[in-house]
Amino acid sequence: MASTLDQAAGWGLVSIAGFVFTYYSIWVIVLPFVDPDQPIHQYFLDRFYAVAGPLVAGVILLMIIGALIVHDTMKSRKKVKTS
Amino acid sequence: MGLPKLYQWLLGAGSFMSVWLAYVAGYFKADLSDGMNEVILVLPLYLLMVFACFSLAVVGYRVTTFNDCVEASEELKQQVAEAKADLEAKGFKYASDWK
Repeated sequence: MASTLDQAAGWGLVSIAGFVFTYYSIWVIVLPFVDPDQPIHQYFLDRFYAVAGPLVAGVILLMIIGALIVHDTMKSRKKVKTS
Repeated sequence: MGLPKLYQWLLGAGSFMSVWLAYVAGYFKADLSDGMNEVILVLPLYLLMVFACFSLAVVGYRVTTFNDCVEASEELKQQVAEAKADLEAKGFKYASDWK
């Protein structure tokens, strides 16, 4: 069986996903239909960041993945040369 | 069977994106409120976020319910023992039994 720590990590991932989904849904889908003077708006950044945030995060993630691929390709190529 | 899963997804995403692009580029007039318009503009990104959250949740759930295959392990051990006994009966000597 998965250990207690594994289970905690798993439920942690699930709750992060649930929280992000709920928060983002309210931010993007519900807020346009709420009057701008309602107090709920103070808990959310400007709508611009709802688009820019994920885009920037995605670009950074792709850059990290690309860098890792380049790094590993270089490493395995060097290994082939020496052997 | 029909189409492979990849093509089904590509077809779905492609038709959705073509309608979305046509709407955003203004190829057809739709009399929607400002709120609806704003929601539709970010819909592809929102769907991507939903997919990401769903994937993360699935990974987390699988981590939580990762199980040991106790029965399969017992079965495999028993089969190894059977095979060993069978090979020994046919005169096979194991390196681990050398003295």
